[in-house]
Amino acid sequence: MKSIRIGLGLFSSPRLWYPLACLFAMLALWQTVSAVIKNPLVPGLQEIAHEVGRIVQGGQFLENMAATLHRVASGFALAFIAAFLLALGMGRREALSYFFEPALIIGLTVPGLVWAILCIIWFGISATGSAVAVAMSITPAIALNLIQGVRAISPELLEASAMLRLPVSARLRHLWIPGLMPVIIGGIRLALSLAWKVIVLVEMFGLSNGIGFQLNSEFGAQNVAGVLAWTLSFALVMAVIEYGLLGPLEHHLLRWRRISFV
Amino acid sequence: MTDMSSLTSKGAGARVTLTGVSKQYPTARGKQLVLDHISMDIAPGEFISLVGPSGCGKSTLLRLIAGLDPEYNGSVIFGGHPVNGPQADCGVLFQEHRLFPWLTVEDNVALGAFHEGLSRDELKQHVQTQLTHVRLDGWGHAYPQQLSGGMAQRASIARMMIGSRAVLLLDEPFSALDAFTRMKMQVDLETLWHNSGKTMMLVTHDIEEAVYLSDRIVVMDAKPGRIRKIVQNPLPRPRDRVGPAFAEVKARLFSLLEI
Repeated sequence: MKSIRIGLGLFSSPRLWYPLACLFAMLALWQTVSAVIKNPLVPGLQEIAHEVGRIVQGGQFLENMAATLHRVASGFALAFIAAFLLALGMGRREALSYFFEPALIIGLTVPGLVWAILCIIWFGISATGSAVAVAMSITPAIALNLIQGVRAISPELLEASAMLRLPVSARLRHLWIPGLMPVIIGGIRLALSLAWKVIVLVEMFGLSNGIGFQLNSEFGAQNVAGVLAWTLSFALVMAVIEYGLLGPLEHHLLRWRRISFV
Repeated sequence: MTDMSSLTSKGAGARVTLTGVSKQYPTARGKQLVLDHISMDIAPGEFISLVGPSGCGKSTLLRLIAGLDPEYNGSVIFGGHPVNGPQADCGVLFQEHRLFPWLTVEDNVALGAFHEGLSRDELKQHVQTQLTHVRLDGWGHAYPQQLSGGMAQRASIARMMIGSRAVLLLDEPFSALDAFTRMKMQVDLETLWHNSGKTMMLVTHDIEEAVYLSDRIVVMDAKPGRIRKIVQNPLPRPRDRVGPAFAEVKARLFSLLEI
């Protein structure tokens, strides 16, 4: 069984050095291309770093990041609850599965841009609009992901909980939620990455703050370094969420899987 | 230990009565009769075994009594009431341990007493007592994956024994274990049965296991599943596996099964 080495061993482990090497290689490649082309449309790393400094020091970064993350979070929460209920229903009852299948397939094919436009038209500049746009765009993908997990829950354990006559609340707590935890965590990753892509569109078209709005302004000013600075800053925040929150959470919640056999 | 005895006495055996139980499965070539008019009466606190060739429907019969399969003809009366769905008074031990892999041994066993309405402290104490009974002291915080096959099956037994279930149905519970572990498990199970007074019904392929544990042994025919004979086991307990009397009962069963 694979395990991630932690503690002092980290500094000598490929777990640390390989990702850093990848980041370094990407930066070096960018810098080389930029130096060769010598065009303001492909700014060098110094210029991008300067822009990052500007948006962070001006206080714009925190304010817009908070607005965007708040919208992502509310849309994400809405989508996840809907997807979880859909997946439990569709994974367990064939009739429900047949009924909702076309809706999911259509939902998967509708571009996030369409939901962004529609929600701005319907809800205007409101928190509801952005949450609904995100939820509509990402629910189908998360639901499909979770349905696979529901169908993979072992019938033996279902029978065991039937024999123990566990009520619904206990089944959720002791069977469904822990059993689905691997797909739930995978779903959270998928949902966050999709939600962010949709929210940027909503902010570009209809809102007056947030990362998407800022990207659009930098685009209007033809400031490529500014666009990249916002993008990189957001990627950094997502990396912090992944390595600081999701990774450790997964490590803790799935500890029963890592334990070695006697 | 006083409340422990109250729990077990509450869980002392119930009577199970089958009358004309038949079961058919739909197949590509029409309906296949799996059980054909099975009638038997299992006394409270009795240990009874079902043996027979594969396909004789003995596991199916167990599932009907457990309430896991509602589609059959005839009647199954369990503790005075007809069976419809899994019931509070009945526990099943399967070939696999079926413990929740994400719960510790303690938490798995505690789920067996979900409907007992115990306080947290009482529950903890009962779990500890059961773990001691199945010789798993000190393993409460382990996860099922960390246990050997025999230990996991013992944890599963503890989960069934902790509640006030009157009847335990055992579906080839030891068949996946090695011969040595299996013999030790049989000794443990007999002790638990003796001390708890629960009714136990065992499906097994192992004739020696049936003779060692049972008061009566039901020998079944296959295709369709019928009762060939119910053998009364005359051996006094505790039983000596190597004695001539034991061999004689075994030989009788072998000849009934035409082995």
